[in-house]
Amino acid sequence: MPRVQREATVTWEGNVARGSGAISGATGAFSELPYSLATRVEKPDGKTSPEELLAAAHAGCYAMSLAGELSREGSPPEHLDVRATVTLDQVEDGSHRIVASALLARARVIGIEQRAFEEIASRANEGCTFSKLIDASGTVTVNATLEGETDGD
Amino acid sequence: MATDRKAEVTWNGDLMSGSGRIDSVTSGALGSLDIDWRARSEDAESKTSPEELIAAAHAACVSMALSHALAQAGHPADELKTSATVTFQPGEGITKVALAINGKVPGIDDAAFQEAAQTAKENCPVSKALASVPEISLDARLQS
Repeated sequence: MPRVQREATVTWEGNVARGSGAISGATGAFSELPYSLATRVEKPDGKTSPEELLAAAHAGCYAMSLAGELSREGSPPEHLDVRATVTLDQVEDGSHRIVASALLARARVIGIEQRAFEEIASRANEGCTFSKLIDASGTVTVNATLEGETDGD
Repeated sequence: MATDRKAEVTWNGDLMSGSGRIDSVTSGALGSLDIDWRARSEDAESKTSPEELIAAAHAACVSMALSHALAQAGHPADELKTSATVTFQPGEGITKVALAINGKVPGIDDAAFQEAAQTAKENCPVSKALASVPEISLDARLQS
């Protein structure tokens, strides 16, 4: 498969404590999202942050990976709910690090057993490119549960 | 103090023909945003993807770190324009992030600017999180 490139741009004005920036994606799916230091490390106040964007990336990446693994096993999901929570924390040397991303997934899949599902959920984490990256510097946890089989509705 | 940021995604169907949505995030600043495999791995068709969001996170993080490094060096920036381009090889992963920074910084010489940009690239939290990406390049230019 060919290489894919995705670009985003940021404009920042002023110093770190009082300045602010605006974030845009090249696809136009989001543009001029404001952010600042205060809203990054304290209350978000309606503003996104690098860590929130990573949480969105991680949830999206894992959802696709899980859908792919389930499809490969012949049990494509009817519905997946995935939540990613990214934690930024101050470490010993005083700098900030992304220390963890916690994935919480709920899946509605017909004809699969819990144990098989758990294995697939774990394989999906290994296959998610972003999980691999975060895992190299922090901790990735996966908590995946299967909803009861539907009545065929 | 630790800071948590959360995002919620729903997905329906298989990978190739199904589709998903980034429904909501902690701040409420974005969503809902449609995502699917085709837009991620071929033409984006105005849809975002994990890689675009990672590019956005990285550009935002480096900009903030550089504004800090410049202020500490006694030369606060007037304006920084940063782009991040993430290269994704399906089946392999993220192979490269290319950072490009254009800075308007009164009274700084190029050597000091390059040093600050390098420091920001190495130390911002997103760079640390992406440390296992095979290549992260930096092209920093000072606007005269």
